[in-house]
Amino acid sequence: MENQLLLQVENLDSGYGFLQVLWNVSLSVAKGEYVCLVGPNGAGKSTFLKSVAGLVSPMAGRIDFSGNSISRLPGDKICRMGISYISEELNLFAGMTVQENLAMGAFTINDKRKIVENQDFVFELFPALKERRRQLAGTMSGGERKMLAIGRGLMSTPSLLLVDEPSLGLAPQTTAAVFRALDTLKQKEVTILLVEQNVTKTLQVTERGYVLEKGKIVLAGASTDLIQNEHVRKAYLGI
Amino acid sequence: MANVQKIDNFNGFQKTLDAVCLTPLGFFGLALLAVLPFIPPFNQEYLIRWMVVGLFMAAQAVAFDFTGGYINIVNFGFAAFVGLGAYTSGILAARLGLSPWFGMFVGVLPAALVGFLTGVLTLRLRGIFAAVMAWFISLAFWGLATKLVFLTEGPLGLNCPTLLQTSSNLPYFYIIFAMFMVTYIVLRRIVRSHMGLAFKAIGQNMEAARTSGINPTRYRIINFTLSCAFAGWLGGFYAHYYGILMPDVMHTAKTIEVLVVVYIGGRASLWGGAFAAIPFVFAMEMVRSVFSQYPGLNLIFYGLFLILIMIYYPGGAAQLYQSLIERLKNPFFLRLVNGVISAPAQKKIQASGLS
Amino acid sequence: MFMAIANSNTLNLERVLTTLKSPAGITISASIIAAVLGAIDNGFYVIVNAIVTGGMWALVAMGLALVFGVMNVVSFVHGEFFMIGGLTAYFTFTPFSDYLMGNPNPLFEAVLPILAMVASVAAGVVVGILCELIVFRPLRNRTREQWVMNSFVITLGLSTFIVNSSQFILGTDFRGIVSYWNYPTLSFFDVYVSFDRFFVFILAMLILSAFWLFMRSSKFGRAIRAVSQDETGARMVGININGIQTLTLALSSALAALAGACLLFMYPAYPTVGLGPLYNSWFIVILAGMGNVAGAAVGAFIVALLQVLTTVYFGEGWEYTVPAACIILVLIIRPSGIFGSEVRGILNQ
Repeated sequence: MENQLLLQVENLDSGYGFLQVLWNVSLSVAKGEYVCLVGPNGAGKSTFLKSVAGLVSPMAGRIDFSGNSISRLPGDKICRMGISYISEELNLFAGMTVQENLAMGAFTINDKRKIVENQDFVFELFPALKERRRQLAGTMSGGERKMLAIGRGLMSTPSLLLVDEPSLGLAPQTTAAVFRALDTLKQKEVTILLVEQNVTKTLQVTERGYVLEKGKIVLAGASTDLIQNEHVRKAYLGI
Repeated sequence: MANVQKIDNFNGFQKTLDAVCLTPLGFFGLALLAVLPFIPPFNQEYLIRWMVVGLFMAAQAVAFDFTGGYINIVNFGFAAFVGLGAYTSGILAARLGLSPWFGMFVGVLPAALVGFLTGVLTLRLRGIFAAVMAWFISLAFWGLATKLVFLTEGPLGLNCPTLLQTSSNLPYFYIIFAMFMVTYIVLRRIVRSHMGLAFKAIGQNMEAARTSGINPTRYRIINFTLSCAFAGWLGGFYAHYYGILMPDVMHTAKTIEVLVVVYIGGRASLWGGAFAAIPFVFAMEMVRSVFSQYPGLNLIFYGLFLILIMIYYPGGAAQLYQSLIERLKNPFFLRLVNGVISAPAQKKIQASGLS
Repeated sequence: MFMAIANSNTLNLERVLTTLKSPAGITISASIIAAVLGAIDNGFYVIVNAIVTGGMWALVAMGLALVFGVMNVVSFVHGEFFMIGGLTAYFTFTPFSDYLMGNPNPLFEAVLPILAMVASVAAGVVVGILCELIVFRPLRNRTREQWVMNSFVITLGLSTFIVNSSQFILGTDFRGIVSYWNYPTLSFFDVYVSFDRFFVFILAMLILSAFWLFMRSSKFGRAIRAVSQDETGARMVGININGIQTLTLALSSALAALAGACLLFMYPAYPTVGLGPLYNSWFIVILAGMGNVAGAAVGAFIVALLQVLTTVYFGEGWEYTVPAACIILVLIIRPSGIFGSEVRGILNQ
């Protein structure tokens, strides 16, 4: 691999209590890459991201980020190391305004100028948020909340963005807008690991992909190859 | 436990034990307790008195655990329900000359009614509302008992006729023994019935219980009311054993005593609290008499025990017992502990080909 | 709802009307009317008393609401922080006060009560941190299952332990003072207010404002709100949850301890003095809505007024029965409290 590996997961077992969800999952993301993890509902995609983000503690295996092991670190430390996780449930602060939510996203940054810079970037990416910056997050529509969640995740200047199901429950137009935003981020050289159920769309935009089924990685490769793959075509593209 | 597989060749003794929800070990323990007042050194009057207090505590613990352990709601006003029963029975006996034997059962009504109303009001909300509300109600009744002097004599104390015209504690020992057994058997039979299963489901996971078709609010109200009814009944004994009633019978400190006993004994076991009650009362009475110059020292231990148990051994004595019998291999001991309490032991007996 | 008036730049009549018709509006207007009627009937001191004690109950109740919102702890040890504050202030104040009897020094006399209050705040912070480190954190690390009930029971244990330890060490004596300052009484509208009460009221207002500013615009205040609104979200943005929970408990116990110190001339410190403040603040918190910190501040004044009126019209000894009746009403009509609860899932959990 010529690029520097940013995230490297090796033989990860993870789950909740007695319930193991992931078996021996290995995955890596290089700096600047746009990688996706696809698979059916309940395959363990979210559990994988939560394990990386430190919200679920892994049972076995290694998770390395920029060469440091992070598999035993709590979520807040992992965030401080530069990983932003945008969860499926969004986990916004419903009683705070858009602006306050963004400010919370920059909790780990002390440089005021940098915060303003990041906020401007988010507002540029999602102009709708700028108009509504005094609105309470809890009162916004699903699409706006998703944008806010991504925006909040960007406020900490992450070197790796973990995005869980950005298209879930959104209207096609909003989905397109979210994917456009991710594209923009990609051009700005943000490394993204995207988890999606919308396999066609995802494989079209990403560079590399992994297919997760029943807690195990069954396929991996360049997105253009995966989209041609017999199994993927049968199982996900309905061809 | 509903998943207990009945062993085919139950003999008559085991069948009887099963009907009263005891293991052979539990039966022998109780039998020993029943003759204990005749065995020196326990035949001394003050020790019998401690045993009466202990059994009263044990019966309360069973009624308390029925709510706290199963539907996971700490009835923080428990003492008020005991007090309601006590005052009802006491007032009826002292003012109207009603027989205490009858009054004890009348005392069930207000306790159950107030319990029911509290339940209707709070049990559709998060469990903690019921706990806090019960506390408010207990303080309200405590205030009323202090304030309604024409009825209760307030802090001076209401003189109630005792159950028996004797100064001996021995008859009372057997009365409270019987009351304890009734409380235990009735509540235990409910717990292992279909309804008990619903209680457990609600206590562990409300949402899951609801999706499997259980109406949580209804079951919680039934449970809470029953527990309060037994509290009221036991209160009747309190009034007519001590012969004097003060508002402090309803005080929060009394609830905490029961709570500590239940948590030391182990929640959601019913027998755990009962098991812990008598040794606990003995230990505390000893602390009280040895360190009589420091009143309240035993209460420091209450607090300390509660904190330690909650953090380090949340299952209490019942969990310890469970983990011990799971290690048992000797068939004799397995038979001894085999009963409705331990399903794993029964499986082991079957596996060992004993039955 | 209540904030709507304050936030809007233009006083829109329609909006004022909807606010008035909301439960919060009705309760607040009813309290104001009750206060006015009570004052007409019994003199202005009704209002003054309600405001002076209300300010202090606000500090205690806010801490309780905060602990519930952020840590999900239904705290029954909160009253003990009040007692610890009172005791600390007593033991800081009286020795120097006795010394001053022999050696008058006006400057020291003026500053000493403030020193006592600062000492009690420090004591509150220390006790709060100890409780978090020794009790709550081990419990949290062991299991988060059924946390609300378990932590509630553990606060009962803590409360029993602290109350009886205090009784064991210090006995059941009442440790109170007549007044902090020997300054002449102030008079407003024919009502005489001691300087202590006046100072306590001003202090309460200052702290309420500072607290409000802290929660709104400081980094850690915001982090506290974030944790109470979404704990996972807070962890995701890099907030150290343990740290925030320690901070919250320290803050809330410091507020309660300060109230205990400030009210030492009304509530002498003795082992079970905490029961009253605990009871009041739970009353306030349920009335205002569980976990609603701003609501608790407003609710405190309503409750204080209710208490003053209860004492005036029913006499002493009903202070436990009347609130219980009110709570029953609240639970029947509006279980989430008059200002609405900020904690999700009040129903059916």
